[in-house]
Amino acid sequence: MKDLNDYFDPGFTVDDILGDSKTSTYVNDAYYALLRADMAEWSGIGTPLTEAERQAHEALILHENWLLDRRNFEQWYQLYTRECSYWIPAAHDLPGNPQFDPQSHVTIAFDDRRRMGDRIVWLRTGVAYSQLPPSYTLHMSTGFVRVPTGRPNEVKIRSQFLLQEMRSSNPVQTLSGWMGHVFKQEDGRWKIDRKLVSLLDGQRGHHNLTYLI
Amino acid sequence: MRDFSEPPIYDDLIETDRVHRTLYTDEAIFREEMNRIYGGTWTYLAHESELPKANDFVRRTLGLRPIIVSRDRDGKVHGLLNRCPHRGATVCRDDAGSTRRFTCPYHNWSFTNSGDLVGVPIEEGYGPNFDKSRLGLGKIRVEVYRGFIFGTLNHELPDLETHLGTAARRLDEWMDRWPGGKISVRNGQHRLMCNGNWKLVSDNSHDGYHPGYSHASLLRMRKDRYGGGVDMQWVLGNVDDGLQRLYDLGNGNTFLDQRPEIERYWYQSAPMPGEDSYAATLRERLGERAEPALDVVMGSGMNLNIFPNLLIIGNQLQVIQPRTVDSTDLIWYSTSIEADDLPPEVNALRMRLQEDFPSFGEPDDLANFEECQAGLSIPEMEWVVTSRHMDTGTEYVDGNGDLAGLPTDELGIRAFWKEWLIRMNATTKLEAK
Ligand code: FES
Ligand SMILES: [Fe+2]
Repeated sequence: MKDLNDYFDPGFTVDDILGDSKTSTYVNDAYYALLRADMAEWSGIGTPLTEAERQAHEALILHENWLLDRRNFEQWYQLYTRECSYWIPAAHDLPGNPQFDPQSHVTIAFDDRRRMGDRIVWLRTGVAYSQLPPSYTLHMSTGFVRVPTGRPNEVKIRSQFLLQEMRSSNPVQTLSGWMGHVFKQEDGRWKIDRKLVSLLDGQRGHHNLTYLI
Repeated sequence: MRDFSEPPIYDDLIETDRVHRTLYTDEAIFREEMNRIYGGTWTYLAHESELPKANDFVRRTLGLRPIIVSRDRDGKVHGLLNRCPHRGATVCRDDAGSTRRFTCPYHNWSFTNSGDLVGVPIEEGYGPNFDKSRLGLGKIRVEVYRGFIFGTLNHELPDLETHLGTAARRLDEWMDRWPGGKISVRNGQHRLMCNGNWKLVSDNSHDGYHPGYSHASLLRMRKDRYGGGVDMQWVLGNVDDGLQRLYDLGNGNTFLDQRPEIERYWYQSAPMPGEDSYAATLRERLGERAEPALDVVMGSGMNLNIFPNLLIIGNQLQVIQPRTVDSTDLIWYSTSIEADDLPPEVNALRMRLQEDFPSFGEPDDLANFEECQAGLSIPEMEWVVTSRHMDTGTEYVDGNGDLAGLPTDELGIRAFWKEWLIRMNATTKLEAK
């Protein structure tokens, strides 16, 4: 893969996010159909990654984890394509559970690029009391496999994760589940086009899920 | 410091302009509330659209009591205590489904979906005097108002619609935004856990004072990215100079009306994924008829609070589910509108819009409620202030005969405590029959 430093514009700040993607133009019936097709493909039999796939994709997911754990949201944002999504269904037992369909169900998070930007700006206002003090997280990903896809020019990587979160005087809490990352080439490098977080307990209540998973 | 030794005299804890902190922290009071408040009045249980067909059921709670809300084979709605009359086991263990019979897994006693005991294995072992007709599931008094299912164990209360009074009219306004449309509550939920007493949640939903401060993050994010004009900007500054109003609808029900601040729903909506793409699709297909459809994407501009556990906020039904004296589950049921003449894109947009406040608004509220719970644990600081606008001469009686006031008035909190006191002091026997 390209050097990871190539991904980041060092001068890119939350002010750049303020002016980026202020309209929401690509979420429509076709996009929801794509996410349903993704969900069907995620149940495919995965194969362990080759060395090249590890360099290109696993490394990016591991670095994404690292950036989120450092609350470096501005760099995290740059790992994504211009028409991306970050999606956490409020449903469990995926991909089999029909309650996942975001066109007809609310989710824990369904962010297009604009709402990802909103989320970062919101976290950076300094007055989001649910993140004052902030959550400190530790993401652990393992079990990376490449899942077959019928879509040319895309790579689907599935992985298992554990996430621990500590905030203020609250006890450390643990989330777990699997993730699906769909990679696409943009501006000559692999970027995350669609990220799905399938929580073990997505259908249940959670305490203050205002940090990024 | 006052000595509130057991048993607490509730009248001593509620004064005209302040209430005592132990109402939020005392475990004995909490246990009494779960029995006397929840089930002592008409309490929201479920929405009919969640059990659309004959024999459907959902599992819920009434206070802390596990219950089943079911339809029998004729479609009539029942509320049943989910407790086996034999030895106490939970009979129904599925959250939702469809069945003619509930069978207790322990010794397989079985019940119709209206609660009657119809099967007992090796029944002869109970001898000749065994009377199955006296051993059905406990029955809750249930009534439905336009799809909203309420239940109570108080058999002396008037019927539901009479009890709701003007709150029923406000509920009509909330339901009838798209004429002929039917509200559907089958679109998933946000479930938020809060380490605070349940009443901190209800206090807040008739609190028009806090938004400009508690929701500074949401307001600042919106303004910095999109400029003025979008969603909720009317809560900035001195909102008492604005157009919102707060109403005491009687029986503890209250209403914070933000609608007078909304000139055009679609343009004042919060941002949502799909906004521009779907608006373009609809305008191309429907021309000017797209505009009223887009307007029902946005939240209603209503906070309608039905004592003790149903808070209708925006397009959502927020149900309070107390867990312990200092922990509460908040369930935000999302809704869609079913109507032949409503384009389906509207409901896809509604899903995305209903993620906005649970993401960028409610978490900051919950963080504040938890800090209230922490503060209220201090014994030497005994009271909570509820006097705002009590004697500023700004309250009035509206055309419906309801007491009304400015948005920062604490009349909603005072109305809540008035009803709370009536229910806690009531001597009516609560019965499942
Ligand atoms: S406890 Fe239910 S059948 Fe025995
Ligand atoms: Fe609020």
